[in-house]
Amino acid sequence: MAADIAFTCAEGWTPVSSRLSTARRITLLLVYVLVAGGVVILLLVPEVPAWVSAVVAAAAVISFVWLWWLIGRRVRSFGYAERDDDLLVTSGILFRRLVIVPYGRMQLVDVKAGPIDRRLGITTVQLHTAAATTDAAIPGLTPQDAVALRDRLARRGEQRSTGL
Amino acid sequence: MSDPQRPSAIGDDLGLGAFVPPDATSDEQGRRHAHPVTPIVHGVAALPFGIAFAFVSLGGVLASIGIGAFLGAVLVVVIIGLLVTGWSYLAWRNLWYWFDDDGDFRVDSGVVTRRQRRLQLSRLQAVDVAQPLFARLFAMAEVTIEVAGTGDSRVRLRYLTLGDARALRSEVLARAAGLGEEAGEAPEAPIVQVPHRDLAVSLLARSVTAGLLLLTVVIFLFTWRIEGWGGLGVMALTGGIPILVVVTEFIRYFGFRVSESPDGLRLRFGLARTETRTVPPGRVQAIEFVEPLLWRRWGWVRVRVNIAGVNRDESGGSRQETLLIPVAPREVAVDLVQRVLPGLDLESLQWHEAPPRARWRAPVQWRRLAVAWDGTILASRRGRITRRLAVMPHARTQSVRVTQGPWERALDLASMHADSTPGPVRVAALHLDAVFARSVADDQAARARLARGTDTSTRWAQSGE
Repeated sequence: MAADIAFTCAEGWTPVSSRLSTARRITLLLVYVLVAGGVVILLLVPEVPAWVSAVVAAAAVISFVWLWWLIGRRVRSFGYAERDDDLLVTSGILFRRLVIVPYGRMQLVDVKAGPIDRRLGITTVQLHTAAATTDAAIPGLTPQDAVALRDRLARRGEQRSTGL
Repeated sequence: MSDPQRPSAIGDDLGLGAFVPPDATSDEQGRRHAHPVTPIVHGVAALPFGIAFAFVSLGGVLASIGIGAFLGAVLVVVIIGLLVTGWSYLAWRNLWYWFDDDGDFRVDSGVVTRRQRRLQLSRLQAVDVAQPLFARLFAMAEVTIEVAGTGDSRVRLRYLTLGDARALRSEVLARAAGLGEEAGEAPEAPIVQVPHRDLAVSLLARSVTAGLLLLTVVIFLFTWRIEGWGGLGVMALTGGIPILVVVTEFIRYFGFRVSESPDGLRLRFGLARTETRTVPPGRVQAIEFVEPLLWRRWGWVRVRVNIAGVNRDESGGSRQETLLIPVAPREVAVDLVQRVLPGLDLESLQWHEAPPRARWRAPVQWRRLAVAWDGTILASRRGRITRRLAVMPHARTQSVRVTQGPWERALDLASMHADSTPGPVRVAALHLDAVFARSVADDQAARARLARGTDTSTRWAQSGE
């Protein structure tokens, strides 16, 4: 599709770990445990007509399957590329985005991991510039990759740093 | 100290101010205190809250018992005032500020938790002098110093006499500009003042405000016609909110004046709370001309700016609008902007418009959507009813984004955004041809990099004026 040309990168995208899908699916499961609880309560309340409960349950199941599948695609859509002067990050299926961050504009680089991420051995690298709208987070890196990437970015940032 | 020859634009213009000697106490190392009257100002400023508190907590008792409860309420108010005064006395005693040997601005503060802060003046963004209402009663002012940074990068010093506040501001600006410490207060030349009538008319004629007021009239006519008085509640909403906004902004931007000084453009405004804001050239991150439909008959525009650090409160979230001017004829506005973005030439820009198929995504504004650039700036325009034209110097581009929603994807369109520091201005070229949007984004990243290499505007006073 022609529209995809706008979101390609000549150097090729580095994908993120598929363990990110696992992490996000665990979170999804945790949310849907609560949803399932709600559906069970709905089934137990006698005043609610059976067809209402059935519709809600079906909607829950369908949305769960859809989100499960979507997570896989979303994670595959993540990619980053280190070019000579800037970092490119892309993601998204329905709403696609591509961010170009010149190394000289980075103010700080965060490396962070939540409890589920740590169990699975993945980490997020987040870039900050002076603009709050810069949305350059790369999730699903292995800790070694993340630290190496952070150090490379920090070094390049220092070489090319200018004021605000 | 303030110069008695120069007309004082903000000052004790309420005519109620107690005489306060210009007295910034300092210790042997040159560290300075705020003015000793500060705790009393804080105490007085707390009185309305004290009264409200007494009213709420003792409201029922007041109605039943009378004079005894009234005295009780007075007692509560006085106690609250004294508590606040006592606390701010401690805060005042622990607040020290000074310039250290490295040329940085240092502030030590805190009663329970001590804080020591060092502001790098080379990263200064703005220095503001403001007079809140209660401070004005005492002829006092507060100074806010902003430096670039992601965290808590502002310091607010309360309170100094107006003269001390101005002297501090000019000292900070002089040091930041790379001049000596005793440059004195920069002279300033007035450029433009917004007439009160224009301000009021322009606020009423803004697109959303005017639309809501019109809606209110329509609702009123209907209500009156069919005598269904339920419409009154809706009217209070559709009419009340815009009027509230108009009144608030009118008070805030009352008597808006712009003058030029070597420190940059100096803005003064406010009815209840007078503010002075200095916009140093080279610190402006992005600007936007806003032109609502009804303003066009007078040729008016509003100019909004992003200045790093200014659009942030302590929590980091505030999006208060920063203006270069609330309303002015187009030529005046362009002239003002050219003072902070020298060399800006809007006339000779080559506009690259969104393709006609963008009408399916943005049926109203598609004809206006366009992007342009020259050697120093990137510009984008959008909006049909309220026209917006945003400008960002290449050297101020933080990052570049390309986004595409599902609808845009179906039409092979994409939008390009140039990210700026937090502020009201967004530079976005919406719904361009997808491949073109990407190429503009790549080029913009390259232009930003090149421009930064040659940018000297941050040390404006040294860069040869």
